[in-house]
Amino acid sequence: MRIRKEWKPWDPSVDFKKVPGTMGVYEIADEQHACIYIGYAGGTSPHGLRGELYRIFGMPPGSETWNWSHPQPDGIAPELRQRARYYRLEENSNAYSRWVECLTRYREDYDDVPELNHDARAPRVPYLGRYHWKSEGI
Amino acid sequence: MDMARSEEQQMIIDTVRKFIREEVRPLEADIDPDGSEVSPEDTERLRQMVKDMGMWQMSVPEQYGGPGIDLVTRTMVAEELTQHKAGLYAPAFGAFGEAPPAHLYDATDEQKEKYLYPAIREEKRHFFGLSEPSGGSDPARAIRTRAVRDGDSWVINGGKLWNSGADTADFGIIYVRTDPTKGRQGITAFIVDTDTPGFKVNRLIQVMRVYHTTELSFTDMRVPHSAILGEEGGGFALANDYLARNRIPYAAECLGIAQYAHELAVEWSKQRVTFGEPLASRQSIQWMLVDNEIDLRTSRWIALDAAAKAERGEPFRFESSMAKLLCTEAASRVIDRSMQIYGGLGMSKDMPFERWYREIRIRRIGEGTSEIQRVVMARDLLNVRSGS
Ligand SMILES: Cc1cc2nc3c(=O)[nH]c(=O)nc-3n(C[C@H](O)[C@H](O)[C@H](O)COP(=O)(O)OP(=O)(O)OC[C@H]3O[C@@H](n4cnc5c(N)ncnc54)[C@H](O)[C@@H]3O)c2cc1C
Repeated sequence: MRIRKEWKPWDPSVDFKKVPGTMGVYEIADEQHACIYIGYAGGTSPHGLRGELYRIFGMPPGSETWNWSHPQPDGIAPELRQRARYYRLEENSNAYSRWVECLTRYREDYDDVPELNHDARAPRVPYLGRYHWKSEGI
Repeated sequence: MDMARSEEQQMIIDTVRKFIREEVRPLEADIDPDGSEVSPEDTERLRQMVKDMGMWQMSVPEQYGGPGIDLVTRTMVAEELTQHKAGLYAPAFGAFGEAPPAHLYDATDEQKEKYLYPAIREEKRHFFGLSEPSGGSDPARAIRTRAVRDGDSWVINGGKLWNSGADTADFGIIYVRTDPTKGRQGITAFIVDTDTPGFKVNRLIQVMRVYHTTELSFTDMRVPHSAILGEEGGGFALANDYLARNRIPYAAECLGIAQYAHELAVEWSKQRVTFGEPLASRQSIQWMLVDNEIDLRTSRWIALDAAAKAERGEPFRFESSMAKLLCTEAASRVIDRSMQIYGGLGMSKDMPFERWYREIRIRRIGEGTSEIQRVVMARDLLNVRSGS
């Protein structure tokens, strides 16, 4: 199953406390609403989904005074940081297996994982079996 | 002792039960498997309904604008509120309002203005900061965070661990050592704003429940003398009192998800047919269900007894520890048995059990572990202080 949510534009003025700090999966889209990356905040992610999104979209001006250890963009592809415009997320304590599931679902639909998931850290994404099926919006 | 519900209590419970079943549970079909929030529109709608029911912020006393509902009734209601998938850590998705920490009612007028009233209006959120990396069971010895007086202010250095909600809170009540020579009398409670320079959320700690905790550090965090809550050196007594009071609703909340798990298991056992007969006809399944019922009824009784004693102003520390111990452990057993009766489906995220199973486990640790409840009870029983 895909993440069943609408894309949301990243709003740098949002109160950071409103972005969930939980574990979960997220998808990032470019200007054209095309999904370019699927990621997750796992059990050791220092600030959960909140931290992951700020790592990608960047900390806004004035955030120096925020009372948390600011997430660093290490390991995030510069291209992802440049092209990211929209996101959607799902809180899920099984973040890693849900991440693999989202990648699998995506590849069934588009014959490949999102373009910025082609990195060395990508997991082995399983196939859904011999009955290749598209999600039809599921 | 008569534990029968009064007419008013029954009416309140019926209203809350209907609300949870008809308004809250249906919303869970559309949220994440570990989600704890519904849409802002639904949140607002639910809150308005609760306000119309006259049950907004149940624990807030009448003189502060709340309904001032007594502790026994609140204990009964706490069990109703959690009867949905996200219920244990997000009862009714916050529709009944978040109550301020009870100690703020005894705070100074200045502190009330700054923290209590905004907390009642839900403009400010708080956290409770007792545990440290050096240990949570024995804070009198374990607290290393130090406050040193400097003129009219205190400079705090150290850190806290496991403080739920600190990353989204506006202020916290932290317990720190102000006099290292005085043991438990050397601990003082401070109210600190989370935007004070030197206050930092180092990281969030993900745990078995979806609601994370935090690791905090305080570096040369300067707070005014007026930030002391209660007496200087009176922090340990305050924390103990806070914990003893909190244990009763904390215990009852556990019974809520267990009760719901049990009801689901009863239904399922009647529907599911194996070897040509419904599960309900098998003695081993019947016994599991009866054991569930015994666990639920006995622990509910103890929780209500603790609440009644507290309400009457009698000593209730022993009873609140017993309620916390029994309810958390009984609820764990009930959820485990109910999950077993559901078979494979019980493991799936389509059902609420796996979430409850993880979340209820924390309840045997939080607010004082099962062992510490026994330590507290043994002290009362034997009138000795363990480990000293
Ligand atoms: C999810 C979660 C949320 C939490 N939220 C908060 C919060 O908001 N604020 C806060 O201040 N704290 C919070 N805590 C901390 C919690 O209160 C502590 O974890 C708990 O009190 C136990 O302390 P500890 O983890 O340091 O274990 P320890 O104190 O190191 O104990 C370890 C084990 O030894 C046992 N033990 C200790 N002493 C004895 C003894 N005398 N006899 C027998 N057995 C003993 C304990 O029962 C436990 O099993 C939270 C913890 C968790 C997991």
